[in-house]
Amino acid sequence: MDTGHPAHGPGDEMGSPQAGPTVVRMLLGDRLRQLREASGMTRADAGWAIRGSHSKISRMETGRSSFKRRDVADLLTLYGMRDETERHGLFMLVERANTPGWLQEYGDVLSGPAAIRLELEQCASVIRCYEPQFVPDLLQTTDYARALMGRHCPGAQPAEIERRLGLLTKRQEALCRPEACRLWAVVDEAALRRQPGSAATLRRQLGKLIEITELPHIKIQVMPFTTGVAAGGAITFLRFAEPGVPDVVYLDQFTGALYLDKPADVQHYGQVMDRLCTRAELPAVTPAFLDRLSKEI
Amino acid sequence: MSDDQSAYSWTEAEKDLMEGIDTTVPHSARIWNYWLGGKDNYPVDRAAGDQFLKAYPGMAAEARANRQFLARAIKYLVTEAGVGQFLDIGTGLPTADNTHEIAQRLDPACRIVYVDNDPLVLAHARALLTSTPEGVTDYVDADLHDPDKILDGAAKILDFSAPIALILSGIMGHIADDEGPHAIVSRLMDRLPAGSYLMLQDGTTVSQANADALEDYNESGAIPYNLRTPEEIARYFDGLDVVEPGVVPIQTWRPDPGAEPAGPLVDVNTFGGIGRKN
Repeated sequence: MDTGHPAHGPGDEMGSPQAGPTVVRMLLGDRLRQLREASGMTRADAGWAIRGSHSKISRMETGRSSFKRRDVADLLTLYGMRDETERHGLFMLVERANTPGWLQEYGDVLSGPAAIRLELEQCASVIRCYEPQFVPDLLQTTDYARALMGRHCPGAQPAEIERRLGLLTKRQEALCRPEACRLWAVVDEAALRRQPGSAATLRRQLGKLIEITELPHIKIQVMPFTTGVAAGGAITFLRFAEPGVPDVVYLDQFTGALYLDKPADVQHYGQVMDRLCTRAELPAVTPAFLDRLSKEI
Repeated sequence: MSDDQSAYSWTEAEKDLMEGIDTTVPHSARIWNYWLGGKDNYPVDRAAGDQFLKAYPGMAAEARANRQFLARAIKYLVTEAGVGQFLDIGTGLPTADNTHEIAQRLDPACRIVYVDNDPLVLAHARALLTSTPEGVTDYVDADLHDPDKILDGAAKILDFSAPIALILSGIMGHIADDEGPHAIVSRLMDRLPAGSYLMLQDGTTVSQANADALEDYNESGAIPYNLRTPEEIARYFDGLDVVEPGVVPIQTWRPDPGAEPAGPLVDVNTFGGIGRKN
């Protein structure tokens, strides 16, 4: 089950990948490699079956080439993958790998690990996150996000900040579509009390969070100070609907970010996320908690 | 699966965080999640699940057959029996086609109460098993050993003057013989109104390989599971009008025409059925 992308094992920082559905190609390539290895085929065997070479298979498996649906179908058949649900899921990935996403329009403000994270986010079926410091970005009001960006990028031109806010709004809109993925957030009480902008900004932010709790596909659990439970920095844990495509953990760092998909890492963070959600308050009490905090500002 | 054992030891801070979660003992909901192709399971669960499959290879088909029977049963209850309320005890970790999704796809106004006593299962269910706007999906934190607590919790959400389908899918084995499994089912059905239904399925002693596999599993430190004879499964339906074809191997219960079976019939060791309370 080792996914073993040499380019992004634990501890490796992502370089500056090209904008585009790189990640989708990586996920798809990785699954093809697993299936090939499980079937005992060599790259040369597989290459021959799709009228190519072993290096073509190698490029596909590392996400460095494009995919043709016919090639993927032939490979799946060769590897003995007959499960219609999984085949369909992988064909959907092929389609997505060949479709330039709207994220590419934001290449000017998006590069490196952040670009990878957003691409993954667009493919995820469930986004789990833990936020000890600030309100999760997908749930921020524009005012709150603007105040935070002003603090985090002090030298940024107003035009760049507006551009970043535009990108955030697009991501938030994507989360509101009917077929959107689910968002499951554990937010520390500190994150809900910290004021990146004015008191009024925070009050409006908490009001927006209360409204969001009405949405069935978004769940917010508060980790109150009284539990004494914390887990270091922010964690984003992405789940993909396709069977066999592993979960991915994304961690922001001061200098870059970590993007983990090795089973041992994902396992570790998965257990941390499980523990956090079982120790946090139930989603149902979130509105009352937020309302109380809002009155204390 | 030695390659995905955690490569890291826990820091002191993490040990505090993890207090109370036992990742060293297999957990039935996580093993089922593994058998059904889910991603919410730990190495200890995969090891136990693989060991079980080695002793009883039929379990993979059995797990799929269990979900398929659940889907056919819910479809029958909504479309033919006209039931709009469900009390599903032993939720399990979210998978494809959970009870409320099947029911609400057929009738978006269906009301579903899930019951479990495992904090991990409840947390995942509350976050991910969400209702249609027209219907209701809610959760009761209770143990099957305490049917009155279950019913009191469910009564706050369901209308006990209208029929309710009680779903006991692969859960009764958690009750030992001396804890009165049949009395628990009777107690639950007693308080449901006339016109309510029982849908129950559970593993039997028909397959010796399954019984052997389970014996090893029960010694692993996991909460033990008890198999029963097909006659004992049928006795859960005493006093109810059992719907055709009766309490049978689940694959033979009104199979979908043209559907590919989950495995050879000989492998199916789970018996189940549906009964109506008059």
